[in-house]
Parts: sequence; structure tokens; C-alpha cells
Amino acid sequence: MTENSLILQARDITLTYSMRRGMFNRFNHQALKGISMDLYRGETVGILGRNGEGKSSLMRILAGIINPTSGTVSCATDVSRILLSIGVGFMPNISGRENALYSTMLQGVSYKKAKSMLTAINDFAELGEFFEQPISTYSAGMKARLGFATAIMTDVDIMFVDEVLSVGDENFKKKAEEAMLSKLNGNQTAVFVSHSAPQVRKICNRAIWIDEGKIRAEGDAIWVTNKYHLHMLELQKLEQEKLANQEQQINTQLSASE
Amino acid sequence: MKITDYIKLVDVNARMTLKSEASRFYLSFLWWIFEPLMVVLGFYFVFNYLLQRGQENYLLFLLCAKVPFVWFSKAVTAASGSILAQKGIISQLNIAKAIFPYSAVQVSLYKELPVLVLLLFTCLAFGFFPTQQWLWLIPLILVEYLIIIAVSLLTALIICYVEDVRILINMVMLLLMFCSGIFFEISSLSPPIGDYLLTYNPIAFMCDSFRLILMNKGMYDVNHLLLLGAIFSALIVVMHLIYHRLNYHMAARVINS
Repeated sequence: MTENSLILQARDITLTYSMRRGMFNRFNHQALKGISMDLYRGETVGILGRNGEGKSSLMRILAGIINPTSGTVSCATDVSRILLSIGVGFMPNISGRENALYSTMLQGVSYKKAKSMLTAINDFAELGEFFEQPISTYSAGMKARLGFATAIMTDVDIMFVDEVLSVGDENFKKKAEEAMLSKLNGNQTAVFVSHSAPQVRKICNRAIWIDEGKIRAEGDAIWVTNKYHLHMLELQKLEQEKLANQEQQINTQLSASE
Repeated sequence: MKITDYIKLVDVNARMTLKSEASRFYLSFLWWIFEPLMVVLGFYFVFNYLLQRGQENYLLFLLCAKVPFVWFSKAVTAASGSILAQKGIISQLNIAKAIFPYSAVQVSLYKELPVLVLLLFTCLAFGFFPTQQWLWLIPLILVEYLIIIAVSLLTALIICYVEDVRILINMVMLLLMFCSGIFFEISSLSPPIGDYLLTYNPIAFMCDSFRLILMNKGMYDVNHLLLLGAIFSALIVVMHLIYHRLNYHMAARVINS
């Protein structure tokens, strides 16, 4: 790393999936087509894009889970990176306490430290006595609360967040967002994926818009989110025009048949 | 993550898996003893009554070999699909993939311990009392554990890339069961075949050795056991190097599977 505050650098990342579809049939898909980006200590970068545009693949590469097909990711070995995961490794027939312990340990926390975090996790998740019950008895909201509480407690150098803020009911959603914001407003370096422009504007200093596996815009979060928003409005307009055309065609065909 | 944290994680995962499994059944953990016992009784019925192949103490004769074989076959079968089964975790975390086969092996070990105790009590019931030689069971169990780890790491890795091997494993286990001297005495085979089996089939050697010790028939070949221990320890080291090298590649394979 040449600059002091640079914590992660990605250069010309490409990713091509090759999936088997039968004995001799393979399906290739290029998810990322040459992405370069820098991440500086303490900043929160938002990654915007529609579903299926390669955001999650990029996060997995930046978090060190998979390697790119080509290109490089430079990050010091002592920098801990984690893709914030809700409910990772949860087993349905064991208690919330045990699941929280296991899930925390999976994220690299020692047994002793994970045990000491359990009270705080339960306090945050607001599960009360249910913490001792198997999570198969939990509602979807309770599971999400436990998952979020377990994930947010882990301390790492770079946190990669993949749309985890929409958890639980309205009250908890607000609490989750506040917890995330207080973490991100501190010294936490983070990369935050979303397809919601307002959420990125609220949380991030800088943003990157990914479209069809390439960077479409990069820079100040407000500028990028505005560009993205305008593009989405254009797409919506095109979609509406397409629907109107189709409707008109159907009406013409109907009146012709009458 | 430190090595001690990995070991603890494997242990916690194994204990939670056991608890999770046990809570699903009315008879809970008693199944870990009932199931192998019922299998052995089934074989005893077929061989002793239907085929009239039984010999003196045939039930114990079967048990002494069947217990180490079932430990091996169940552990390897469970571990072989363990990495693919954890797609959710692997797509979210950069974690050493060896943790999953190790956890499956550990689950099988914990299930096996009460069965081993039951086997020792069955020996007593049949009038085979402990001698000093029974202490030789400890290195035997240790080497079998090493064999299980090595084979589990190998099969789990292969299945990540070629899932078809999962079908082959069941067939190989069946073949191995008939080639490991479980239903018959290996020494009763015509001379070169029995020796070949003991030399080249580690499971046949294990089954035969358990029987020799527990039924007070003599001592197994310690040099051969040491050789097996060395070979499979080396295989474990090699597998760890391969796992380390393929860490990201395996993750991509599992995510796209």
C-alpha cells in the first residue's frame, strides 16, 4: 500500500462463473468486468446497483471469501475482514444462546470472548427467556433479531454489509439502523451494499454504482446516488412505456377480432 | 483464527450437531447405541440362524469387527458431504473448509464412544475379561481416528468438485464391509488372500486387531499399525496443504454448486 490510510485496493477485478448444466454443457457468466476501487481507513463506501449486477460477488471478493478470475485485491494480512452475515450457521433445534455462541465463533471470535458477549447479544436482540429456547420456536422476526445482534457485536477492521438493515419489525429496524450508524460513524471501515439510494446517502461518504458488472459512477455519495436515482427513474419510464405499448397492441388486436 | 480456536469451534459444532440430532427423536441419544446394536443383531440373525454359519461366540465375533467398521463407514460417509452442505456459511465467511469434515468426524467419535463402552461390557458378558493387552486398544483407536480423518478430508474435497463420488462412497463402503473380515475370520481364507487383505486393507487390519485383543486371541502386528499411523498422518498433512491451497477455489465451487 502506497498511501498511509489506504486499507484495501482492488485492481481490474473480473469474475466469470462457470456452472455445469448437464454432462457436457456449461454455462458461463461474467459477473464482474474490470472493477478497480480503493478503500480508506474509517470511511464507509456504498455500493449501489440493481439485483444481479454483481454486487454480492464483488463483496465476496473484497471480503476475501473467493478469488477474482483476474485482477488483484491488496490488503494487509493483519487486516480482519468480514461479510456481515445474519444468522450464519444457525441450527434450528438448539437454543438461541448456543446458536449465538456458534455463530460468533464462526466469525473468528474465541470461545471465551464469544461466551462473554452472549448477555449483550440477548440484550440487543430483546429475546428474554426465548434466548434459552430452540430457535425453531422463534418467529422470523426473532430469528432476524438474534442474527443481527450476533453479527453486529463482532469487531473487525473492514466490515462488508450486504443489505442487512431490513430486519425484524419497525421498532427493531430503527434500532438496527441506529446501531449500524453508530458503528459506521465511529472508526469502522465499511463497504455497504444496497439498491436503496436514500439508505446509501444516509450511511455512506462515498459511493460506487455498479451496472452490468462495471463501475458506472464513483465519487461523492450524494452525486452518485442522484445519478443512480435518475437512471432508475428512466428505467421505470421505459418499462411503463413498454407496458403501455403492449396494452395498446392487445386493444388493437381485440378490436380487430371484434 | 488461532489453531486452538479452530479446535474449539470443531468441538462446539460437533456437540451442537449431536444435541440438535438428539432433540429430533423420542429416544434421543439412545439411538446412538440402539442403531448399531440392531444392525449387529440383524446380521447375527441372518448368519447364525438363516445361513447356519455361526461359530462359538458369534455375536461377539461380529460385534468386535462391526463396531470399528461402522465407526469408519459412518464417519467418512457423513464427512464426505459436509463441505457442500455448508454452502450458506462458505458463501458468507472466509473459513478453513477442513472445519466441516473435522466436525463430522468429531460427531461420529462422540457417538462411537458409548458404543465402544457397550462393546467392552459385551466382552465381559461373554466371559472375556480385561487383560493388560487391552491397553493396546488405545493405539488401535488412535490410528483408526487418523485413518478416518485422512479419508474424510480426501472424500469431502473430492465431492466438492465431483458430487457423483457421493454415490460411489456407499458402494465402496458395502464392498469394504465384505472385504474386511467382519463376518468371517481373515485367517480362514486361503493363504495369500488373507495376507493381502490385512496388508492392503487398513480396515480389515483394524477389524481383525480389535477382535484379536478383545477376544484374547493374541496380539496384532504393531509395526503394521505404526506404518498405517505414519501413512495416514502424512496423508492428513498433505490434505491440509491441499485445502490451504484450494481454499478460495473450493469456496467458489461450493457457492456455484
